[in-house]
Formats: sequence, C-alpha cells, structure tokens
Amino acid sequence: MSHERFDDLAPVYALGALDGDEAVEFERHLAGGCERCQAVLDDAHEAFATLARSGERVAPPPHVREALMERVGAASRQRLPIERRRSWLRWAGATAACVVAASALTAAYVAARYEARLGVMARETARLREGLLAHEHALEQQLAATRAVVDLLRDPATRVVALRGAGPSPQATGRVVWHPSAGGEVFVANLPAPPADRTYELWTIAGGAPKPAGLLALDATGRGTARLEPTGGPVDVFAVTLEPAGGTSAPTGPIVLASAK
Amino acid sequence: MKTLGGELIRRMAAGDREAFGRFYDRYAPLVHPLVLRIVRDPTDAADVLQEVFWAAWQAATTYDEDRGTPEAWIIMRARSRAIDRVRANRRRGETFVAPVEDAAGPGEAGGADPATRAADRAVVRAGLERLPDAQREVIELAYYEGLTQTEIAERVKQPLGTVKTRIRLGLERLREVLKQAT
Repeated sequence: MSHERFDDLAPVYALGALDGDEAVEFERHLAGGCERCQAVLDDAHEAFATLARSGERVAPPPHVREALMERVGAASRQRLPIERRRSWLRWAGATAACVVAASALTAAYVAARYEARLGVMARETARLREGLLAHEHALEQQLAATRAVVDLLRDPATRVVALRGAGPSPQATGRVVWHPSAGGEVFVANLPAPPADRTYELWTIAGGAPKPAGLLALDATGRGTARLEPTGGPVDVFAVTLEPAGGTSAPTGPIVLASAK
Repeated sequence: MKTLGGELIRRMAAGDREAFGRFYDRYAPLVHPLVLRIVRDPTDAADVLQEVFWAAWQAATTYDEDRGTPEAWIIMRARSRAIDRVRANRRRGETFVAPVEDAAGPGEAGGADPATRAADRAVVRAGLERLPDAQREVIELAYYEGLTQTEIAERVKQPLGTVKTRIRLGLERLREVLKQAT
C-alpha cells in the first residue's frame, strides 16, 4: 500500500477525529514505527501548544491545586487514593490497587536494599576519607619539615651535626641541622621501637647542663624527625635518651644517640 | 533542547512534589482555558484539569523531551481528557446536555461565564481565524467539540474525503500561520 493514504489519515488522527477501521489501521501503521506519520503528529501537537501559548492565560480555581497537592502527598505516603466509583469499576479498581501496592512493596524493598548498600558505601567512603586526611596531614608535616631544612641550609650559619648510636642501639644514626638563632631539625634512623612505657627524648646540652628538647616519635621503619627550638645560646652536644613515657625534665635513661663534643 | 518544563517533569518522575507544584503553576493557566473551551462547564473543567495533572504526575516517566515540548505534552493530554469528558457527557444523554451547537452559539446563557468567553476570544485571536472558513470549521469541530471525522461529515454535509482534505490543508496552513507569527 502506498503511504499517500496515511498522509491523509495522520492529520485526522492528530486531531483525535479518526474513527472506525481507519483508526485501527492507522494505529497499526504507527505502531510499526513510521517516522513520517509520527512527525506529522508531533508537529500538530506543537502547533496546538503554540495556539495555547499565544492565547490568554486563565487561572484555574485554587481548590484544584490544593486537591492535587493533597493527592500527590497522600500517594507519596503510600496511601492509595480510592475514589467512589460505580460498582462495575470496583473490580478493576481493586486489581489496579493490588498492582500499585505490589509496585509500592517492590519499590520499598528495592529502596531498603539500596539504602543498606548506600549505608555501607557511605561508611566505607568516610573511612577512606579519614585515611586520606591523615595521610595528607602527614605529608604536609613532612613537607613543612623539608622546607624548613632547605631554608636552614641556605643560611651559612647553619651547621649539620652527626649523631652516633650509643649504648643499647649502636646501629642508630642521626643528623641535626642546626642554626643558633632559628633552631633546627633532627633526623634519626635505625632506632628500635621503644618499649611500651618508654619514649625517646631529645636534649640540648650546653656547659654540661642538659635541657629537654622535645620527644622523638618513630615510624614503623625506625625513622623519626623532630623540630628543635632555638635555645638562645650555644649548644655543645645533641643527645637522645630513652625515658619514661611522657618525658622527663632531666635525663634518667641511657643515651641512644649523641653528637661528638 | 533542555527546558525548565522538561526539568520539572524529570523531577516529577523522580517523585519530587515541589516540582509538581511548580509544573502546575506554570502550565495550569495555559491548560485551563483549553479545557474550559472544550467542556464548557466550569465545574467539569476544574474536574478535568485535576485529572489531567494527576495523570501527568503519574505518567511523568514516559515524557520524552526529544519528542516534543512540555507544552505540547500537557496540552495533548488535556485536550484528549477534555474530549473524553465531552463525549461521555454526550453519550450519557442528549436530553440533559445542551447540544454543542446551541451552547456554542452567540448570546447563549448556559456555560458561558466570563472565563469561558475569554477562552473563546483567546483561541480565535491566536491564529485559527486566519484559516479559510471551511478549514477552520472542521478543525474546530474536531479539536474543540470532539467530533469524529464521520460526525463532522454529517454536520457540514460533505463527503468524508472532503473532510479529510480540509483537515489536512487546515493543519498545514495553521502551521504556516503560527510559524510566521513566531
């Protein structure tokens, strides 16, 4: 059959005025995916929309909006709006209600499943985020220390002092980058992890008198870095001792690292 | 083409009630005159309007923005609901529903409150009046009165083929007129 026939039917169908066998025939043709006829329908609908747009706006009575919003609210609270219908519609209504209820249950089940999964993913994400933040924090500290050292090394007054392992940890090594008025940084390696109730403490010794210079924390590989504040005077010896956790104001434990005098 | 209306329908499909409220506020004043023009009775029109938007809320997932504008989508749905209502009223008994040609006639009392008359004026001004009378008549009988092609042929006392041709030419002309206007 030539398409010309449908060219006559499409506009009538667009107006909703096609009837009888022709309506059936055209719908079958359209269902076959005829782009040409579909375009005629779409164009007609756009034309009617343009007619409406260029016309006057007339506000509907406010009770329509109220009723609709209530209806939509009721539906989203899973209450089914069942209206009074003629008796022959009741069966169809009940069937439809069952379908709606079944879809609601399915939706609720799917939602519950996905909410559970979303919860797991949210916790996982939070954990990763925490890890990243901690990592970033550590990197920032390292970067700050590195920058501080580089700045110190530019200054001719800065000196680098070697630390040697002593006593219980002869394999330990270390360096102090020291500036008399700016302070410095200490780097150590190969130190064994301190016992549980102990900690490594730094000392600056001048004129035979040791001054506490902070605690030294180690990473898993036995390396550690710490900032040394300026003492306001010359320093003869840098030393690290093993002290009770929390540190002391005067050294009590063995020296594990010390610079030569 | 992405439009605000399309965005609102997408959000409605996701169950967004606030979007539905905005969709209603945006399109109800556009849809209402058309529904009023077709069903004539303000109470019926309010009823149909509610049905149209309720159905739109439920069918929001089926809207395809590539196929047409939100206006065309909602107008098409409104028009077909309104026609269904008119046809049902007509079937229920011509005895207590005034025949369409009487209700639509000039100087009538029933069903023509100021809003209805405003709706009539709006439609007439919008572009249909620029069609030849014979074409405008068949389109109005189909679009606003809900007559089928067979009923139109009886009404205008012309063969079915002539009615088809007038409808096709009328729609083509209407599209041209609207294209010029915009």
